[in-house]
Amino acid sequence: MAETRRDMPREYHEAVVHWQKHNFPDYPKLAQLWDRYFPRDEPFCLCAKLADDVNPEIQLGERKGQPKALSPKELPEDAAHLLLGQIRAQASTEFGSIQQHEGTLARAADPQDQAWVLRVMAEELRHGYQMVHLLTSQDWSPVTDQKPADMVEEILNMNTGSHVLAAFNLEFDSFTDNVVFAALIDRVGKYQLSMQKVSAYEPYAASMPSMLKEEAFHLAAGVVPLRRWVERAAKGDALVTMDAIQKSVTKWFLRGLEMFGDDRPGGHGGEDAVRMGLKDMNNRQAQDSYIAEVQKVLDDLNERYVRAKRPDLSRDDADALYAKLKREKGSADGIAYQDLLRLPDRRFFRRRGEGAFQMYGFDGQTFDDPEKCIADVAAHLPEAYRASVDVRHWSNTLRKVHAGEVPLKDAIKSMPRLARVGGSCPCARSVRWVMDVDGSGASGEGAQLHP
Amino acid sequence: MADVTVRPLSELDLDGITRIDERITGRYRPEVWEERVTYYIRRDAEASQVAESGGKVVGFMLGEVRGGEFGLEEATGWLDFMGVDPDARGKGVGGRLADALLAHFRSAGVHVARTMVRTEDEQILGFVRSIGFAPAPISSLEKRL
Repeated sequence: MAETRRDMPREYHEAVVHWQKHNFPDYPKLAQLWDRYFPRDEPFCLCAKLADDVNPEIQLGERKGQPKALSPKELPEDAAHLLLGQIRAQASTEFGSIQQHEGTLARAADPQDQAWVLRVMAEELRHGYQMVHLLTSQDWSPVTDQKPADMVEEILNMNTGSHVLAAFNLEFDSFTDNVVFAALIDRVGKYQLSMQKVSAYEPYAASMPSMLKEEAFHLAAGVVPLRRWVERAAKGDALVTMDAIQKSVTKWFLRGLEMFGDDRPGGHGGEDAVRMGLKDMNNRQAQDSYIAEVQKVLDDLNERYVRAKRPDLSRDDADALYAKLKREKGSADGIAYQDLLRLPDRRFFRRRGEGAFQMYGFDGQTFDDPEKCIADVAAHLPEAYRASVDVRHWSNTLRKVHAGEVPLKDAIKSMPRLARVGGSCPCARSVRWVMDVDGSGASGEGAQLHP
Repeated sequence: MADVTVRPLSELDLDGITRIDERITGRYRPEVWEERVTYYIRRDAEASQVAESGGKVVGFMLGEVRGGEFGLEEATGWLDFMGVDPDARGKGVGGRLADALLAHFRSAGVHVARTMVRTEDEQILGFVRSIGFAPAPISSLEKRL
């Protein structure tokens, strides 16, 4: 894959580097660990990478066969607006995930797991850089009155609690979340990037291949530690349990589903983007594929668990045992179905889309009493997360919706009000991330833009 | 056997690859394949290939582009590991995997592919010859320590 690497103008490059210093202080450790954990890989590059061999023609939708747009003004106005929303949301997820990972990175029990997550974070920083590059390397004035510096400022000001998507507004409770997040939420990222690989906006399409290549490692950085953890759990390690992994899977899976957008069956979520040639699947199609893929992850982990639990069984016998447990949902040969990892019903504990603030249980059962539904949700979530403002907000909103005090559409729009909602640069001498090169914040060649 | 599809390797192929290795060698070595598969995904997720039939992995071929080894400055597409489920052999699975891997090497601008096979592995040697590999003007040497 031939690609061209680009840096951003100095004020934007330094804004991202400065953001890293405050939000990702572990970043310098990656260079120290690189030769140990990634000895043959070329050094990490904080730069934009653009594929050189992108299909120059729009690949689907109503303008199929026409040349891809090289600048926003070449897109129809509605497509350009949708594209800008895609780029902003993508940027928010990249920077947001770093803020989440950083909180529990130091709690990793295994140095390799930690080094892998550290690399994941650095590559998310590069992806954020790539999105900022897209916002600052072209003229967006036909689409928005907001200046590039202000768009970047808005993105860098976001914090856990004020990001675009709910999955990026949840704190990590432990390093289990770092790993499960990589396995589940980065997988949604893979879907989004894969869908946008065909984008009718050529610079966006050209941004996808390098990001997808890096994202493939992020999924492995989630799944491989989980495979080892389930084996330890099967062998009776008291420090790693299937229950803890299951609860983290439940916490993230539902928020991952909501990242696909409106997924109501029979709805039209994402179809405008397909029609405009900006992605190649609608929300429901992509989400269905995602659910099937996460089920494969859980099957893989469960098979490893069964194999470790019953090492006396042959491969075929262990596979047959897992198939029986899954089919009959009972117990056999010393293993109970409840010991295994399971996917919740797609309508369980939802804030948006299908099942939002409806009383569905983990297994898809329905309740007629909000308190019973809340108890079922609470029983399936990690203890630390249960105590969060996020779960409290969901529970209170569910009660109000079913008491007729809040219309469902208002409930869906509401978000928990977190104490931390913004994040301008905390340096004493600076109130903005993006500094004017010629402004009062700096003078002369080589002067630092940030204190 | 159902239709075979060949596609790039992913982390979800770990169990399938471990299973093939187990059928060939009789050893269950998930940790070994976790390290290897993660390495090849990290290096170039599009290079290494798996063959799938009926939802099961029936073959794999792991490789990457490297340069500068053994004084060979020219970028080389290395075929490092391969395996085909015994039940899927003789059906062209290995050839299709090789076609995909070599096509990726070509797309990366590489003009030569290399591999090493133990002399006693006559079946593998026969396979790599059948897909166009020939003895190279390089001597493979070793010293027991």
